[in-house]
Amino acid sequence: MSAPGRFAPARRRILVGAAGLAGLGGIAAFCASAATRGLTLRTRAGLAFGTTVALTAAGSEASIVEAALADGFAAMRAVESAASLFRVDSALARLNRDGALEAPDPHLLALLRFALTLADKTDGAFDPTVQPLWPVWAGAAARGERPGAEALRAALAQVGWRRVQIGPDRIVLEPGTALTLNALIQGYAADQVMAALRMRGIADAFVDTGEFGASGTHPDGTPWRLGLADPRDPATVAAVIAPFTGFAATSGDYNMCFSDDRADHHIFDPTTGRSPRALSSVTVTAPTGLLADGLSTACMVLGRARGAHLVAAHPGCAVRFTGKL
Amino acid sequence: MRSGPSPSPPALRTAVGGGRGAGMLLRAALLLLVLLLPTLPVWAGQLDRAALERYFPAPLVVGEMDDRLPVWPILKQQAGAYEVFAYAFESVDLAPIPGFGGTPPDLLIALAPDGTFRDVKVIAHHEPVFLDGLGSEPLFAFVEQYAGLSARQAIRVGRPNARAAGAAPQTTVDGISMATASTRVINQSILASALAVARVKLGFGAVNVGLKVEARADLYAPLTLPDLLARGWVKRLTVTNAAAAAAFKGTGAEDRAEGPPDAVRTDLLVAYLNVPAIGRNLLGRAGYDALMRELGPGNHAVMVISAGPEEAPENPIGDRFVLGAVPERLAVSQGGLIVNARDMAVERREAGRAEGLPPGPWTILRIDQAAGFDPSEPWVLAETIVRERGQILSEKIARTFMVETKLPADLFTRIHPEDGPGWTDPWRARAPELGLIGLMLAVLVPVLGRQRGLVADRRLFARFRLGFLALTLGFVGWYAQAQLSIVTLVGLVRAATVTHDLTFLLYDPPSLVLWVFALSALVAWGRGTFCGWLCPFGAMQECVALLARPLHIRQVVVPAGLDRALRQLKYVLLFGILGAAAAGSPLADTMSEVEPFKTAITLYFVRSWPFVAYAAGLLVLNLFIYKGFCRYLCPLGAGLALTGRVRLLDWIPRRAECGSPCQLCKVRCRYGAIAPSGRVDYAECFQCMDCVTIIRDPAQCVPQVVARKRARRVAPRPVTVG
Repeated sequence: MSAPGRFAPARRRILVGAAGLAGLGGIAAFCASAATRGLTLRTRAGLAFGTTVALTAAGSEASIVEAALADGFAAMRAVESAASLFRVDSALARLNRDGALEAPDPHLLALLRFALTLADKTDGAFDPTVQPLWPVWAGAAARGERPGAEALRAALAQVGWRRVQIGPDRIVLEPGTALTLNALIQGYAADQVMAALRMRGIADAFVDTGEFGASGTHPDGTPWRLGLADPRDPATVAAVIAPFTGFAATSGDYNMCFSDDRADHHIFDPTTGRSPRALSSVTVTAPTGLLADGLSTACMVLGRARGAHLVAAHPGCAVRFTGKL
Repeated sequence: MRSGPSPSPPALRTAVGGGRGAGMLLRAALLLLVLLLPTLPVWAGQLDRAALERYFPAPLVVGEMDDRLPVWPILKQQAGAYEVFAYAFESVDLAPIPGFGGTPPDLLIALAPDGTFRDVKVIAHHEPVFLDGLGSEPLFAFVEQYAGLSARQAIRVGRPNARAAGAAPQTTVDGISMATASTRVINQSILASALAVARVKLGFGAVNVGLKVEARADLYAPLTLPDLLARGWVKRLTVTNAAAAAAFKGTGAEDRAEGPPDAVRTDLLVAYLNVPAIGRNLLGRAGYDALMRELGPGNHAVMVISAGPEEAPENPIGDRFVLGAVPERLAVSQGGLIVNARDMAVERREAGRAEGLPPGPWTILRIDQAAGFDPSEPWVLAETIVRERGQILSEKIARTFMVETKLPADLFTRIHPEDGPGWTDPWRARAPELGLIGLMLAVLVPVLGRQRGLVADRRLFARFRLGFLALTLGFVGWYAQAQLSIVTLVGLVRAATVTHDLTFLLYDPPSLVLWVFALSALVAWGRGTFCGWLCPFGAMQECVALLARPLHIRQVVVPAGLDRALRQLKYVLLFGILGAAAAGSPLADTMSEVEPFKTAITLYFVRSWPFVAYAAGLLVLNLFIYKGFCRYLCPLGAGLALTGRVRLLDWIPRRAECGSPCQLCKVRCRYGAIAPSGRVDYAECFQCMDCVTIIRDPAQCVPQVVARKRARRVAPRPVTVG
């Protein structure tokens, strides 16, 4: 589970959002070739979910593409205000603070329902209630230490996905329990952005919300390609998914590490309160960003064998593991 | 001047409609115009995406504007992904601090993710001193100084060339002479808006953001180590066998002690070095100075010396201490939070150390200013002792021992970035000028109040007046730059209608003091006290007018009707300017140029030639029509004359004979403020005291002279005056 608090994480670099054939080539090259097909390609970048995001869309009319991109950003803002822990006033942040939330935001409900279902399927390997572990690890890291067994035991006592009661009108947490949906929110946002673009009639788009989504093709007619960076050397592309359509999500140990050797990072095993040690990254492709994001995090905790088994149970999904380096 | 009413040329008479009535009409028309003009509601930034892309061209990417703060992320593409290059925002959106003319300056600020300024650019400003005056180039150069400075520190505006003169370059920008108030407002706009963004975007929104606590360098006294320990300025953290055993009790690791229970395991001396009375006494003068130089302003140094057994495995600065690292077993904390403190590795450079200290190993820890450490509040040094339990699967058990240091707050100066460069600063810096101005006022009030004193002595009083006016021009005007101006009234109107912020007044203490005095004097005596005594341009005119006689220039007689009409002109200007200001129109700034004050006083006539020609022209006019500008054009004078209607005292003594038959005062009044009837028009009176001197001088006042002559023939009788 990823559970950043208010810290701005380093920019994720494992998935290089390489839109189109040029791989790492500039957007200018795309625009030139896109123009030959009579399509306008536009990219709009910004900040969301504590990281940089970028939406690329193609269409026959520039004004429609621009409007679609604006809608895409609005969709991300809506998801952020529902479930981002980077916003102190989000619905999720209020739920954590108050222990209960009346008339919860539909985005928050959708995310939480999915999280609890996945927790059930994975016997709690995926668990949205690991948030109490975050301050323990972050606090210890600030002192240059690792948390003691006692502190972890105390935090784990508050962890458990069955400590959440969810209804359409009300979400209630047991005392001390706190939620994080950071493992799902970027994938879910990719779904929402893609839907917003489709509403404007955009068929060809490449979406980077921190996780990735693509539809159609690059306007020059070639498929979208997704470069996967080496987890230990972000500047190099370790593998390429091509053609890339649908959604992809990566969970890794490289982002928000508590120790220099990356043994302790932002993904926690809910049974031990420590980070799983077997894998350095997992990439899952799936028909929705939400599923891709959830499965990739669950696989980090489950490990290769059980993870592959979980992904196989979901049609249209594929997984790629990178062992601990 | 001729004494009787004289006919005006008919053409002029019709043109101005014969004085007061026409003036009132014009005023009413202007007011109506003003009321019809739309009012600007709020100040808001003006840049759109296209404009920002011009400021941050490719390969930089202008990101989507934040949905909660008017901040644009400026991104940089790197290896297919984006990184934040800067957060760009307009100061007016976040900190609309009114400038000297009442309008907030608008600055485009790019703040890097680490809190340093990438760039600051001027988008718009209405600072009178730069508009048409110094020109905008000095302002552009001024804001360029911020690039590379950190918003985590309080940045102050120093004197011009402050940096070259040795001011800390990380925390000082060079000021601009003649534009002190404007540059301070701009500095505050930059810092306040940057902190507002930093709080939300960069996460250094803690309580102690940018807090700067500095040990006062002037408080040094030679103290020995026992003195320092006795005062609690150096603390001792001693762990005995017994204390360690108690701490580890029940862990299975309590019995490591060798020797008796009261034998010392570790003994540490802890000292905050920045305070000279501590640091200089521990390090020696050279060592202290060298350390402070290396440390840099705003950062802190804490020294820990081991006085216990050096070989003890518990000694946190023993063999296993890593130079230059964050110590494993020592930590500084404050308010329950660990403060990042790193060994400065001073040892390797063999810095000095005073006599009388324990010979054990030592470290000096550096705490960065950005850590928000506040040495004037209690802080804790914690020592961790780690013991192992078990032989094969050994488990480490740590226990912490702490000592708190609490230094007296008066050893420090605390500066918050919000209030540091604020309004108290100029008041402190300009205290000497304020003192002299206060002295001038303290002399002026009794002199003007006691009419039978200095005022009655014609020759002495003339000298006093000339001397005082020279001070007003040279000191109040040119040196202290305290020329009151219509610009301040424009600022007040804008504050009342748009900004609701009057703090801009506080940035110019001499002017504010004079304003308060001028308004108080207005209540007692009318506008004359300021216009006749404290207005530097008025004083300049009066000094120039002294040349008229040696140059054989004869005063031009303005026909009375025309004179009355021209007097109304200043009211028209006043309402035009204030109306434009209330309507949010920049026309107010343009129209304010009718005042030559900026040219003649603020900029010492160093300005483009039309302005200089205008100001010089008014001075020449003054040779022919005495103080023509003050009487016909000055909108500030008009404003004071209007408010002067609240005046309480009719302080100019009158006799029954004044006006009928005697016309002496009326003829002598160079301002035309005395009607043929003898009535004083206080709205036009400059309090030059000429008529008072006459009336208090039995040799000049005609009725008194006549009475005395009669008295020779009849019986002597006392004269009552007033």
